[in-house]
Amino acid sequence: MFHAFFRSTLPVLPLLLVLSPVNASSCAMRNKTTEIRVKYENILSHDINELVNMSAVYPDRCCKSGKNKRNETIKVFFCNDTEEIESLQSMACNMLRFLNKQRISKAFRWKAAFVSCRTLKILQCKCERPKKEKVCPEVFNTEDTETGEQSKKKCYQEVCELKENISSLRSCWNKFEKIISR
Amino acid sequence: MESHFSEMREMSKQDSSLTVSNQIILMLRRNDCHVTLANSTKDYNNYACSDMKKQEDVFFLQFIDILSNRDVCMYSDMKRRVCRSLVVTDIVKPEVPFAINVTYEREANEYLIRYCTPHSRKKYLKDKLVHQVAYRRKEGIWKTIESPYLQIKLLGKNLENEASYEVKVRSQPNGDYFKGTWSEWSTSKSFRTAREQRSTESYSSVVMVILSILGFMLSIVMIALIVVFWENRIKPAVWPDLPDHKKTLEQLCKKPKNNFDTSFNPESFGNVHIHKVDGLWAKAELENFLQPSIAPETSLPEKFRGVSDLRMIPVMADKNSLNLPVSDKGVWPAEALHRLLGTSQFAVTEGSCSSSTYEVCHGNRVPLHNTAFNLSSTCSLDPSGQPHPEPLNDDTVTQMLPNSDMRSPNNEEAYVTMSNFYKIQ
Repeated sequence: MFHAFFRSTLPVLPLLLVLSPVNASSCAMRNKTTEIRVKYENILSHDINELVNMSAVYPDRCCKSGKNKRNETIKVFFCNDTEEIESLQSMACNMLRFLNKQRISKAFRWKAAFVSCRTLKILQCKCERPKKEKVCPEVFNTEDTETGEQSKKKCYQEVCELKENISSLRSCWNKFEKIISR
Repeated sequence: MESHFSEMREMSKQDSSLTVSNQIILMLRRNDCHVTLANSTKDYNNYACSDMKKQEDVFFLQFIDILSNRDVCMYSDMKRRVCRSLVVTDIVKPEVPFAINVTYEREANEYLIRYCTPHSRKKYLKDKLVHQVAYRRKEGIWKTIESPYLQIKLLGKNLENEASYEVKVRSQPNGDYFKGTWSEWSTSKSFRTAREQRSTESYSSVVMVILSILGFMLSIVMIALIVVFWENRIKPAVWPDLPDHKKTLEQLCKKPKNNFDTSFNPESFGNVHIHKVDGLWAKAELENFLQPSIAPETSLPEKFRGVSDLRMIPVMADKNSLNLPVSDKGVWPAEALHRLLGTSQFAVTEGSCSSSTYEVCHGNRVPLHNTAFNLSSTCSLDPSGQPHPEPLNDDTVTQMLPNSDMRSPNNEEAYVTMSNFYKIQ
């Protein structure tokens, strides 16, 4: 009887350990939509506008198929309904990987990382492995560089991907802000 | 040490301020030079501390993350640490406004005060500030006005005329998200108020009074005129009465009076000589009649050669012509003959034709239808042109023309009257 008890209950525990990370959200601000909205409207929205203006300096024709020599498909992010926080988390974590792309101007990629870190901070989210959010303290401790490096405006794959990522992040924040403002 | 700790415990938010600019500056004021302040923040389970820089009595720290709370710790010489947590968005002190401009609007008698703030070009505090404008007469008491906009208006009626005023501005977060303290006052701007405008106002008020009185009097006069002339002139013109058909027909069909002289019965014209008149001959006669004195001497003998013609002057031969009403006796009225003849042309001898009466005369007792009546000779004339008195024969005058449409051998025509039309029919 003692062996039967352990035989029946033992598989359940590993199952719970395996399944729990899938459904558990790594964002802690899920139920604090008012606080999220206030911080987004007063602080983050201005930073996103600045980042979009910097992105507009790079022409859109760079990201069309004719200019893209590598013809790689750009990863598209969707802002899923009822999963806006997870979508924003995914976009912010993906945008952090451009921080070390040397072919992108330093000011541009730093600003993108800054917006990603603030998004994760407002939502109190963490990135999946690898834990890219560990670069955020370094980002916050770095002085805000003005738009000094304007020379690097060439059409690179990384630039196209970053522009797409920025556009998706802004659209998803607008959608989420309208939902939580109701 | 004790004093330092007590001071630390009394440290409040008023001692710290956050200047929000491109980089956030946290300032702490401490008068004690032996104190070291450190600032720490906890992000992603990392607790990072940094010493604040000291400049005179102010400690500075620059950072860009305003979402995290800050712990400010004071370290004394005794290596004791006292910390306090600060929400950086609640201790915001804006930058000083600048460029104050005062403009006087004469028509409105208002003073427009404009100013600028450095946060208009920045991202966080733009449109998130409230501004306070203070003004006073020189050496007077300050009065304040708050506004979220970058301009205000002072009414001229609330200010003294021809006086010197000064104005200054400061800013503060509006409290929606960012909270904090007032900024420092801007530099004062002086301006002088305009002269009193009572003359203009009094002049305009007098004009208004006069115009209102005139308007009132005019309205009274108009009302009186309307009341007086309503029945006689206004109402008939505006709302004319429709004709009553019954009354109109009665008027048309009204029987003539008993003593009405007009009659279309041909028998009533029995005592009037009716002669045919040749149109051309009548015209010629009229011309002869209207000629000067020589003309009658030459023409008359021909006309009256042995014949005193009974003629009637045609109706329309000259401007001097006239319709001679004929009485029952065939006697022309005196006034008509006077007008036609003119006493200067044709003298009348006494006894035969008095100046007051004229009679139809004829010469050879020729039937009247063959004769023409010549008024120019009231009495028949002899070839010499002198009027010749002749008695009037009533019978000949009243004799009816037997044949009115017969021409006389010497082209004597008679007038055609309504009775002839009746007979022709």
